[in-house]
Amino acid sequence: MNIKQKFQQLKKEGRKAFIAYVPFGFPSIAKTKDILLALQEAGVDIIELGIPFSDPIADGPIIQAATAVALAKGANTKNIISTLKALKPSLKVPLALMTYYNPILQAGVAKFFSQMRQAGACAILTVDLPIDEAHEYRRLAKKYGIETVFFITPVTPKERAKKIIRSASGFLYYISVTGTTGLGKTLSFTSLARHIKQLKLQTELPICVGFGIHTRKQIERVWNFSDGAIVGSGIVKFIADNHSKRNFLNRLKKYVKSLKPD
Amino acid sequence: MALPNNHGYFGNFGGSFIPETLYSCLEELKKAYARAKKDKSFKTNLDYYLKEYAARPTRLYFAKHLSAYLGLKVYLKREDLLHTGAHKINNSLGQALLAKYMGKKRIIAETGAGQHGVSAATVARLFGLSCDVYMGEEDMARQRMNVFRMKILGAKVIPVLSGSKTLKDACSEAIREWVTSVRDTYYLIGSTFGPHPYPMIVRDFQSVIGKEARAQIIQKEKKLPDFLVACVGGGSNAMGLFYNFFKDEKVKFIGVEAGGLSRNLNSASISYGDIGVLHGAKTYVLQDKFGQVKGTHSIAAGLDYPGVGPEHSFYNDSKRGRYVTVKDSEALEGFKMLSELEGIIPALESAHAIYYLKKLAKKNKGALVILCLSGRGDKDLEIVQSYLDAEKRG
Repeated sequence: MNIKQKFQQLKKEGRKAFIAYVPFGFPSIAKTKDILLALQEAGVDIIELGIPFSDPIADGPIIQAATAVALAKGANTKNIISTLKALKPSLKVPLALMTYYNPILQAGVAKFFSQMRQAGACAILTVDLPIDEAHEYRRLAKKYGIETVFFITPVTPKERAKKIIRSASGFLYYISVTGTTGLGKTLSFTSLARHIKQLKLQTELPICVGFGIHTRKQIERVWNFSDGAIVGSGIVKFIADNHSKRNFLNRLKKYVKSLKPD
Repeated sequence: MALPNNHGYFGNFGGSFIPETLYSCLEELKKAYARAKKDKSFKTNLDYYLKEYAARPTRLYFAKHLSAYLGLKVYLKREDLLHTGAHKINNSLGQALLAKYMGKKRIIAETGAGQHGVSAATVARLFGLSCDVYMGEEDMARQRMNVFRMKILGAKVIPVLSGSKTLKDACSEAIREWVTSVRDTYYLIGSTFGPHPYPMIVRDFQSVIGKEARAQIIQKEKKLPDFLVACVGGGSNAMGLFYNFFKDEKVKFIGVEAGGLSRNLNSASISYGDIGVLHGAKTYVLQDKFGQVKGTHSIAAGLDYPGVGPEHSFYNDSKRGRYVTVKDSEALEGFKMLSELEGIIPALESAHAIYYLKKLAKKNKGALVILCLSGRGDKDLEIVQSYLDAEKRG
């Protein structure tokens, strides 16, 4: 199932998307495989798999630390593809890759898109590639059947948002706060709701909200006015705190289920 | 055609590779800078502070003994004599005035050697702005005096503990803070890197170096120099010197990168790196084949950075400039050479450029050279002492 079909299915069932972010290679490449399958079993609708980068300028301390571990374990654009290929028969949840631009630039954007397509990933989010720099990237993504998700933020001007909407496919990622990923952010749900309502008038694309979202209550509220909630640092912190404990995967499933509103 | 183009590109390099959150503040900056450039009072104001506060113009000093020793004719552009001891103040004054022009009350800055941090803290004091400086923990240890200077000046120095704990990570952390407080904070970038329009803005504010040097050399020698030589980390002192000579095609530009300890451990982004994207710009980056940015090393904290200003990458690829490397040990030799021959103690950054003159002299006897002496060496004395002690111990 791809992302488009996923959102169609959710719409039909009157549900909203629960999207989980985890960095590839954290706490190890082998454990990433188990984690992805556990997220699937826990009922996650879409998985965002992060490609670790040495200089993650949009990430807060939790994901920075996880990324550093992943790089130390040897995570890279090559073994992410081989890992996903190996998982393809069992991993059915639509998979998006989240990255910074430099790793895919070095891998070769066309080559990387073609490989990730073969490995079963269907969308890409590149944190530091705004639409102005993304012409060739979008052309290649289209060629290889990859959806290009772009970001809208609380400080995005209206005209700019229109352009972003025209450039995006799959879904739109609304960044809830000005700031980096992480916990303890103050979210202003009223203005979030207002912005997203305005955007909804302009596009059929699903709009999902991420950054700073890590509790069931926050997810419930975000679901009220959007098409999905993205949880990153909360899950990454859970993995960091629990991966060496007994029954880690069961604990992870239980935790993820506890985040998901009924 | 004037560079960069509208999208911030110098040929194949530059651009604006940033998280979406920063889009509108970079637009705001572009517009404000375009307005300020046309505003006579902005220019008058900046010129006033450059002259009266920073002590411009700086001298173009004929280094008689060094010249005789090397068989060259060397003039030193004395940026080391500026207030705060390095060229960084040119840019900090310009950008702080721009921040005020934009109505910002707070600036943040990254720093490596601490020179930019000190100059940012200085202008913040001068113009009544609050100032937070991000500095790698390792750099804080090796540049303790500059940390103390910043504190005296009322800036908050925030230690950066991530990654290699040097300039690269300080820069990442400053960007994170900028993304967070984008609505009221001005990011005062210290070198000709970062997303458009920063490489252009910093270049313009530093170009006073070459503008003065060009007039001074014509006055003293009645001709243009054969070579311009400057050290390149991010590349602001070099670009500041080179820029106004761009159209003087016979004047050769030499950028001296930090060769560090070896081919594998250095900060020579153009010489040893590949094209990549770091901190908002497409440029030469020291990285592995998977696009992960490598750890760097230089004896000079101000050169210890895995990227380089995109305009330098453009100069390199278009063959307008030549980029070479000088190792730690050679820079130390340059440091001693200038101190002993001229009674001028250079910053370790500039010492890289000084040493290169020795290589240049081999094939270019009698050539007329302007060297940008970007900073003074007081901040480096402890480091130099520890290296010399280690040498003595063998």
